Amino acid sequence: MNEISFDNNWEQLGKYPIVTEHDIVKIRQLVRHHAKEARMGIVEQTRITTAVSELFRNMFNYAEGGDVLIERGNIDGKNALIVTCIDQGPGIEDLELAMSDGYTSGMGMGYGLPGTKRLVDRFEIQSEKDKGTIVRVMKWR
Amino acid sequence: MSEKIVFEKAKERIEHIEDVLSSVAAGDLDVRIEAEIEDDLTGVEEAINILIEDLTYELKQSKKMREELEEKLSKIEDQQKTIIRQQDDLLELSSPVSKVWDNILILPVIGTLDSQRAQIMMENLLQKIVDTGCTMSILDITGVPTVDTQVANHLLKTVTSARLLGADCIISGISPAIAQTIVHLGIDLSVIKTKATLQDAMIYAMRKNNQLTHGKIKSDHLSETEETE
Ligand SMILES: Nc1ncnc2c1ncn2[C@@H]1O[C@H](COP(=O)(O)OP(=O)(O)O)[C@@H](O)[C@H]1O
Ligand SMILES: [Mg+2]
Repeated sequence: MNEISFDNNWEQLGKYPIVTEHDIVKIRQLVRHHAKEARMGIVEQTRITTAVSELFRNMFNYAEGGDVLIERGNIDGKNALIVTCIDQGPGIEDLELAMSDGYTSGMGMGYGLPGTKRLVDRFEIQSEKDKGTIVRVMKWR
Repeated sequence: MSEKIVFEKAKERIEHIEDVLSSVAAGDLDVRIEAEIEDDLTGVEEAINILIEDLTYELKQSKKMREELEEKLSKIEDQQKTIIRQQDDLLELSSPVSKVWDNILILPVIGTLDSQRAQIMMENLLQKIVDTGCTMSILDITGVPTVDTQVANHLLKTVTSARLLGADCIISGISPAIAQTIVHLGIDLSVIKTKATLQDAMIYAMRKNNQLTHGKIKSDHLSETEETE
Protein backbone atom coordinates (compact mmCIF):
# COMPACT_ATOMS: atom_id res chain seq x y z
CA MET A 1 0.00 0.00 0.00
CA ASN A 2 2.94 2.31 0.48
CA GLU A 3 4.01 2.32 -3.13
CA ILE A 4 2.88 4.32 -6.11
CA SER A 5 3.05 2.48 -9.40
CA PHE A 6 4.16 4.19 -12.58
CA ASP A 7 3.61 3.39 -16.20
CA ASN A 8 5.14 5.24 -19.11
CA ASN A 9 2.35 4.21 -21.43
CA TRP A 10 -0.29 6.24 -19.66
CA GLU A 11 -1.55 9.25 -21.53
CA GLN A 12 -1.44 12.46 -19.57
CA LEU A 13 -4.71 14.40 -19.79
CA GLY A 14 -3.59 17.31 -17.68
CA LYS A 15 -1.88 18.60 -14.56
CA TYR A 16 -3.58 21.21 -12.39
CA PRO A 17 -2.86 23.00 -9.14
CA ILE A 18 -5.33 22.99 -6.26
CA VAL A 19 -5.01 26.25 -4.41
CA THR A 20 -8.50 27.53 -3.72
CA GLU A 21 -11.81 25.91 -2.90
CA HIS A 22 -12.92 26.91 -6.37
CA ASP A 23 -10.11 24.78 -7.84
CA ILE A 24 -11.57 21.78 -6.03
CA VAL A 25 -14.90 22.29 -7.77
CA LYS A 26 -13.30 23.06 -11.14
CA ILE A 27 -10.95 20.08 -11.29
CA ARG A 28 -13.58 17.78 -9.82
CA GLN A 29 -15.87 18.73 -12.71
CA LEU A 30 -13.02 18.03 -15.10
CA VAL A 31 -12.57 14.54 -13.63
CA ARG A 32 -16.29 13.92 -14.09
CA HIS A 33 -15.94 15.04 -17.69
CA HIS A 34 -13.10 12.58 -18.31
CA ALA A 35 -15.10 9.80 -16.64
CA LYS A 36 -17.96 10.59 -18.98
CA GLU A 37 -15.57 10.58 -21.94
CA ALA A 38 -14.38 7.16 -20.80
CA ARG A 39 -18.04 6.15 -21.11
CA MET A 40 -18.47 5.40 -17.44
CA GLY A 41 -22.04 5.26 -16.15
CA ILE A 42 -23.56 7.79 -13.80
CA VAL A 43 -22.76 5.70 -10.72
CA GLU A 44 -19.12 5.28 -11.78
CA GLN A 45 -18.86 9.00 -12.58
CA THR A 46 -20.30 9.93 -9.21
CA ARG A 47 -17.93 7.57 -7.42
CA ILE A 48 -14.70 8.82 -8.98
CA THR A 49 -15.82 12.45 -8.72
CA THR A 50 -16.64 12.08 -5.03
CA ALA A 51 -13.40 10.19 -4.41
CA VAL A 52 -11.22 12.91 -5.94
CA SER A 53 -13.24 15.55 -4.15
CA GLU A 54 -12.14 13.97 -0.87
CA LEU A 55 -8.50 13.92 -1.94
CA PHE A 56 -8.57 17.51 -3.22
CA ARG A 57 -10.15 18.68 0.02
CA ASN A 58 -7.49 16.90 2.06
CA MET A 59 -4.75 18.65 0.07
CA PHE A 60 -6.58 21.95 0.53
CA ASN A 61 -7.24 21.41 4.25
CA TYR A 62 -4.03 19.78 5.44
CA ALA A 63 -1.29 20.51 2.90
CA GLU A 64 -2.01 24.06 1.74
CA GLY A 65 -2.91 22.66 -1.67
CA GLY A 66 -1.09 20.54 -4.20
CA ASP A 67 -1.12 19.26 -7.75
CA VAL A 68 -3.48 16.93 -9.57
CA LEU A 69 -2.38 14.73 -12.45
CA ILE A 70 -5.07 13.21 -14.62
CA GLU A 71 -4.11 10.28 -16.83
CA ARG A 72 -5.70 7.65 -18.98
CA GLY A 73 -4.22 4.21 -19.30
CA ASN A 74 -4.66 0.52 -19.70
CA ILE A 75 -4.75 -1.44 -16.44
CA ASP A 76 -5.03 -5.22 -16.74
CA GLY A 77 -6.71 -4.83 -20.10
CA LYS A 78 -9.19 -2.27 -18.85
CA ASN A 79 -9.52 1.39 -19.79
CA ALA A 80 -8.78 3.32 -16.63
CA LEU A 81 -8.89 6.87 -15.46
CA ILE A 82 -5.98 7.58 -13.13
CA VAL A 83 -5.93 10.58 -10.81
CA THR A 84 -2.86 11.38 -8.74
CA CYS A 85 -2.78 13.97 -5.97
CA ILE A 86 0.64 15.23 -5.00
CA ASP A 87 1.30 17.62 -2.15
CA GLN A 88 4.29 18.93 -0.24
CA GLY A 89 2.39 19.16 3.01
CA PRO A 90 3.21 17.82 6.46
CA GLY A 91 2.68 14.19 5.42
CA ILE A 92 0.78 11.55 7.35
CA GLU A 93 2.68 9.95 10.23
CA ASP A 94 0.38 7.04 10.89
CA LEU A 95 -1.11 5.88 7.60
CA GLU A 96 -3.02 3.04 9.18
CA LEU A 97 -4.71 5.43 11.57
CA ALA A 98 -5.49 7.93 8.81
CA MET A 99 -6.99 5.14 6.73
CA SER A 100 -9.33 4.01 9.50
CA ASP A 101 -13.01 4.93 9.52
CA GLY A 102 -13.85 7.94 11.63
CA TYR A 103 -10.33 9.16 12.32
CA THR A 104 -9.83 12.87 11.84
CA SER A 105 -7.09 15.11 13.14
CA GLY A 106 -9.27 18.11 12.48
CA MET A 107 -12.95 18.87 12.22
CA GLY A 108 -13.80 16.40 9.48
CA MET A 109 -15.83 13.23 9.62
CA GLY A 110 -12.81 11.00 9.17
CA TYR A 111 -14.27 9.07 6.26
CA GLY A 112 -12.43 10.78 3.42
CA LEU A 113 -9.48 8.41 2.93
CA PRO A 114 -11.16 5.08 3.84
CA GLY A 115 -14.28 6.12 1.90
CA THR A 116 -12.22 7.03 -1.15
CA LYS A 117 -10.56 3.63 -1.06
CA ARG A 118 -13.97 1.96 -1.15
CA LEU A 119 -15.14 4.15 -4.03
CA VAL A 120 -12.34 3.34 -6.47
CA ASP A 121 -10.93 0.21 -8.13
CA ARG A 122 -7.35 0.82 -7.05
CA PHE A 123 -6.02 3.03 -4.28
CA GLU A 124 -2.37 3.82 -3.60
CA ILE A 125 -0.97 6.08 -0.96
CA GLN A 126 2.53 7.14 -0.07
CA SER A 127 3.42 9.65 2.59
CA GLU A 128 6.46 10.89 4.37
CA LYS A 129 6.51 13.16 7.37
CA ASP A 130 7.49 16.74 6.47
CA LYS A 131 7.87 15.73 2.81
CA GLY A 132 4.34 15.33 1.57
CA THR A 133 1.71 12.91 0.40
CA ILE A 134 0.88 11.20 -2.87
CA VAL A 135 -2.46 9.51 -3.35
CA ARG A 136 -3.33 7.75 -6.60
CA VAL A 137 -6.75 6.41 -7.43
CA MET A 138 -7.84 4.42 -10.48
CA LYS A 139 -11.28 3.75 -11.80
CA TRP A 140 -12.18 1.58 -14.75
CA ARG A 141 -15.36 0.61 -16.44
CA MET B 1 40.47 91.01 -29.42
CA SER B 2 37.44 89.93 -31.39
CA GLU B 3 38.43 86.29 -30.98
CA LYS B 4 38.28 86.73 -27.20
CA ILE B 5 34.76 88.17 -27.42
CA VAL B 6 33.64 85.17 -29.47
CA PHE B 7 35.24 82.93 -26.91
CA GLU B 8 33.48 84.78 -24.06
CA LYS B 9 30.23 84.55 -26.00
CA ALA B 10 30.77 80.83 -26.60
CA LYS B 11 31.43 80.26 -22.93
CA GLU B 12 28.20 82.07 -22.09
CA ARG B 13 26.29 79.99 -24.61
CA ILE B 14 27.73 76.73 -23.33
CA GLU B 15 26.73 77.75 -19.82
CA HIS B 16 23.24 78.47 -21.15
CA ILE B 17 23.21 75.02 -22.77
CA GLU B 18 24.24 73.49 -19.45
CA ASP B 19 21.48 75.40 -17.66
CA VAL B 20 18.87 74.21 -20.12
CA LEU B 21 20.07 70.62 -19.92
CA SER B 22 19.98 70.60 -16.14
CA SER B 23 16.47 72.12 -16.25
CA VAL B 24 15.41 69.33 -18.59
CA ALA B 25 17.05 66.80 -16.32
CA ALA B 26 15.04 68.28 -13.45
CA GLY B 27 11.86 67.73 -15.44
CA ASP B 28 11.23 71.11 -16.96
CA LEU B 29 10.50 70.51 -20.63
CA ASP B 30 9.36 74.03 -21.43
CA VAL B 31 12.86 75.44 -21.68
CA ARG B 32 14.56 75.88 -25.03
CA ILE B 33 17.95 77.18 -26.08
CA GLU B 34 17.72 80.57 -27.68
CA ALA B 35 20.18 80.69 -30.51
CA GLU B 36 21.11 84.25 -31.49
CA ILE B 37 24.17 83.75 -33.55
CA GLU B 38 24.58 81.39 -36.40
CA ASP B 39 27.85 79.44 -36.21
CA ASP B 40 29.21 75.98 -35.43
CA LEU B 41 27.57 75.92 -32.00
CA THR B 42 24.13 76.63 -33.43
CA GLY B 43 23.92 73.08 -34.79
CA VAL B 44 24.48 71.71 -31.32
CA GLU B 45 21.93 74.10 -29.85
CA GLU B 46 19.31 73.15 -32.40
CA ALA B 47 20.02 69.46 -31.97
CA ILE B 48 19.44 69.83 -28.24
CA ASN B 49 16.17 71.69 -28.85
CA ILE B 50 15.00 68.94 -31.18
CA LEU B 51 15.95 66.39 -28.55
CA ILE B 52 13.87 68.23 -25.96
CA GLU B 53 10.95 68.34 -28.42
CA ASP B 54 11.25 64.61 -29.00
CA LEU B 55 11.46 63.94 -25.31
CA THR B 56 8.37 66.08 -24.67
CA TYR B 57 6.48 64.18 -27.35
CA GLU B 58 7.55 60.77 -26.01
CA LEU B 59 6.60 61.77 -22.50
CA LYS B 60 3.21 63.00 -23.67
CA GLN B 61 2.65 59.72 -25.51
CA SER B 62 3.58 57.55 -22.56
CA LYS B 63 1.46 59.70 -20.24
CA LYS B 64 -1.45 59.25 -22.63
CA MET B 65 -0.82 55.50 -22.72
CA ARG B 66 -0.65 55.34 -18.96
CA GLU B 67 -3.92 57.22 -18.66
CA GLU B 68 -5.54 54.89 -21.16
CA LEU B 69 -4.21 51.86 -19.27
CA GLU B 70 -5.40 53.25 -15.96
CA GLU B 71 -8.80 53.87 -17.47
CA LYS B 72 -8.94 50.30 -18.78
CA LEU B 73 -7.74 48.97 -15.44
CA SER B 74 -10.39 50.85 -13.51
CA LYS B 75 -12.99 49.56 -15.98
CA ILE B 76 -11.76 45.99 -15.37
CA GLU B 77 -11.82 46.60 -11.64
CA ASP B 78 -15.39 47.82 -11.93
CA GLN B 79 -16.31 44.74 -13.92
CA GLN B 80 -14.60 42.55 -11.36
CA LYS B 81 -16.53 44.24 -8.57
CA THR B 82 -19.75 43.62 -10.49
CA ILE B 83 -18.87 39.96 -10.96
CA ILE B 84 -18.04 39.53 -7.28
CA ARG B 85 -21.29 41.26 -6.37
CA GLN B 86 -23.18 39.00 -8.75
CA GLN B 87 -21.50 35.98 -7.21
CA ASP B 88 -22.56 37.14 -3.77
CA ASP B 89 -26.08 37.70 -5.09
CA LEU B 90 -25.96 34.23 -6.52
CA LEU B 91 -24.94 32.87 -3.15
CA GLU B 92 -28.02 34.47 -1.65
CA LEU B 93 -30.25 33.61 -4.55
CA SER B 94 -29.23 30.01 -4.74
CA SER B 95 -30.38 29.30 -1.24
CA PRO B 96 -33.83 30.88 -1.17
CA VAL B 97 -35.97 29.68 1.67
CA SER B 98 -39.67 29.84 0.97
CA LYS B 99 -42.69 29.06 3.02
CA VAL B 100 -44.90 26.85 0.92
CA TRP B 101 -47.50 25.84 3.41
CA ASP B 102 -48.63 27.02 6.80
CA ASN B 103 -45.91 25.21 8.59
CA ILE B 104 -43.49 24.06 5.90
CA LEU B 105 -40.30 25.67 4.66
CA ILE B 106 -38.55 24.59 1.50
CA LEU B 107 -34.91 25.19 0.73
CA PRO B 108 -33.80 23.98 -2.69
CA VAL B 109 -30.03 23.90 -3.04
CA ILE B 110 -28.60 24.17 -6.54
CA GLY B 111 -24.97 23.82 -7.55
CA THR B 112 -21.90 23.03 -5.53
CA LEU B 113 -22.17 23.16 -1.79
CA ASP B 114 -18.82 24.53 -0.68
CA SER B 115 -18.22 25.60 2.92
CA GLN B 116 -19.20 29.20 2.30
CA ARG B 117 -22.49 28.34 0.65
CA ALA B 118 -23.26 25.63 3.17
CA GLN B 119 -22.81 28.18 5.93
CA ILE B 120 -25.11 30.70 4.24
CA MET B 121 -27.64 27.99 3.50
CA MET B 122 -27.69 26.86 7.11
CA GLU B 123 -27.98 30.42 8.46
CA ASN B 124 -30.81 31.24 6.04
CA LEU B 125 -32.77 28.18 6.97
CA LEU B 126 -32.33 28.57 10.72
CA GLN B 127 -33.22 32.25 10.58
CA LYS B 128 -36.33 31.49 8.59
CA ILE B 129 -37.34 28.80 11.07
CA VAL B 130 -37.06 31.36 13.86
CA ASP B 131 -38.87 34.08 11.87
CA THR B 132 -41.79 31.96 10.73
CA GLY B 133 -42.08 29.50 13.57
CA CYS B 134 -42.42 26.70 11.04
CA THR B 135 -41.74 23.26 12.48
CA MET B 136 -41.20 21.44 9.19
CA SER B 137 -38.48 22.10 6.66
CA ILE B 138 -37.37 20.39 3.48
CA LEU B 139 -33.85 20.67 2.18
CA ASP B 140 -33.85 19.59 -1.44
CA ILE B 141 -30.48 18.66 -2.91
CA THR B 142 -31.61 17.50 -6.36
CA GLY B 143 -29.43 20.24 -7.82
CA VAL B 144 -26.27 19.28 -5.94
CA PRO B 145 -24.03 17.18 -8.21
CA THR B 146 -21.50 15.96 -5.63
CA VAL B 147 -22.04 14.95 -2.03
CA ASP B 148 -18.71 14.26 -0.36
CA THR B 149 -18.08 13.85 3.37
CA GLN B 150 -17.82 17.59 3.88
CA VAL B 151 -21.19 18.25 2.26
CA ALA B 152 -22.72 15.34 4.18
CA ASN B 153 -21.31 16.85 7.36
CA HIS B 154 -22.92 20.20 6.53
CA LEU B 155 -26.25 18.48 5.91
CA LEU B 156 -26.05 16.63 9.21
CA LYS B 157 -25.20 19.84 11.07
CA THR B 158 -28.05 21.71 9.42
CA VAL B 159 -30.56 19.04 10.33
CA THR B 160 -29.29 18.86 13.91
CA SER B 161 -29.38 22.65 14.31
CA ALA B 162 -32.91 22.82 12.89
CA ARG B 163 -33.96 20.15 15.34
CA LEU B 164 -32.52 22.19 18.20
CA LEU B 165 -34.81 25.01 17.11
CA GLY B 166 -37.76 22.64 17.21
CA ALA B 167 -38.07 22.03 13.49
CA ASP B 168 -37.89 18.74 11.63
CA CYS B 169 -35.70 18.81 8.55
CA ILE B 170 -36.23 16.39 5.69
CA ILE B 171 -33.58 15.95 3.01
CA SER B 172 -34.93 15.22 -0.44
CA GLY B 173 -33.47 14.71 -3.89
CA ILE B 174 -30.69 12.27 -3.14
CA SER B 175 -30.18 10.46 -6.44
CA PRO B 176 -29.56 6.69 -6.49
CA ALA B 177 -25.95 7.27 -7.56
CA ILE B 178 -25.34 9.70 -4.71
CA ALA B 179 -27.10 7.39 -2.24
CA GLN B 180 -24.74 4.55 -3.20
CA THR B 181 -21.73 6.82 -2.97
CA ILE B 182 -22.70 8.01 0.51
CA VAL B 183 -23.01 4.39 1.63
CA HIS B 184 -19.56 3.57 0.25
CA LEU B 185 -18.06 6.57 1.95
CA GLY B 186 -19.32 5.03 5.14
CA ILE B 187 -21.43 7.93 6.32
CA ASP B 188 -24.52 7.10 8.32
CA LEU B 189 -27.37 9.36 7.28
CA SER B 190 -30.00 7.20 8.92
CA VAL B 191 -30.47 9.79 11.65
CA ILE B 192 -31.88 12.07 8.95
CA LYS B 193 -35.33 11.69 7.43
CA THR B 194 -34.73 11.43 3.70
CA LYS B 195 -37.12 11.26 0.76
CA ALA B 196 -36.27 10.43 -2.84
CA THR B 197 -37.94 13.44 -4.41
CA LEU B 198 -39.10 16.87 -3.35
CA GLN B 199 -42.64 15.77 -4.10
CA ASP B 200 -42.37 12.81 -1.73
CA ALA B 201 -40.99 15.10 0.93
CA MET B 202 -43.86 17.57 0.40
CA ILE B 203 -46.49 14.88 0.69
CA TYR B 204 -44.84 13.54 3.81
CA ALA B 205 -44.55 17.00 5.36
CA MET B 206 -48.11 18.00 4.52
CA ARG B 207 -49.52 14.82 5.90
CA LYS B 208 -47.53 15.21 9.07
CA ASN B 209 -48.61 18.82 9.19
CA ASN B 210 -52.28 17.89 8.90
CA GLN B 211 -51.94 15.40 11.66
CA LEU B 212 -50.23 17.99 13.80
CA THR B 213 -52.84 20.69 13.22
CA HIS B 214 -55.77 18.36 13.68
CA GLY B 215 -54.22 16.90 16.75
CA LYS B 216 -55.07 13.37 15.66
CA ILE B 217 -51.72 11.98 16.65
CA LYS B 218 -49.23 13.34 19.08
CA SER B 219 -46.08 14.37 17.26
CA ASP B 220 -43.81 12.00 19.16
CA HIS B 221 -45.85 9.05 17.97
CA LEU B 222 -45.75 10.32 14.46
CA SER B 223 -42.41 9.02 13.33
CA GLU B 224 -43.31 5.49 14.34
CA THR B 225 -46.60 5.73 12.46
CA GLU B 226 -44.78 6.92 9.36
CA GLU B 227 -42.13 4.26 9.54
CA THR B 228 -44.68 1.43 9.47
CA GLU B 229 -46.29 2.70 6.26
N1 LIG C 1 -2.84 15.28 2.10
C1 LIG C 1 -2.74 15.14 3.44
N2 LIG C 1 -1.70 15.70 4.11
C2 LIG C 1 -1.60 15.58 5.45
N3 LIG C 1 -2.49 14.93 6.22
C3 LIG C 1 -3.55 14.35 5.62
C4 LIG C 1 -3.73 14.43 4.21
N4 LIG C 1 -4.86 13.76 3.89
C5 LIG C 1 -5.35 13.28 5.05
N5 LIG C 1 -4.56 13.64 6.09
C6 LIG C 1 -4.75 13.24 7.51
O1 LIG C 1 -5.56 12.08 7.55
C7 LIG C 1 -6.72 12.30 8.34
C8 LIG C 1 -7.89 11.53 7.80
O2 LIG C 1 -8.30 12.05 6.54
P1 LIG C 1 -9.76 11.82 6.04
O3 LIG C 1 -10.02 10.36 6.07
O4 LIG C 1 -9.95 12.49 4.73
O5 LIG C 1 -10.67 12.48 7.16
P2 LIG C 1 -10.94 14.02 7.47
O6 LIG C 1 -10.48 14.82 6.31
O7 LIG C 1 -12.41 14.12 7.67
O8 LIG C 1 -10.18 14.33 8.70
C9 LIG C 1 -6.92 13.79 8.35
O9 LIG C 1 -7.62 14.24 9.50
C10 LIG C 1 -5.47 14.31 8.31
O10 LIG C 1 -4.92 14.30 9.59
MG1 LIG D 1 -10.83 14.42 4.32
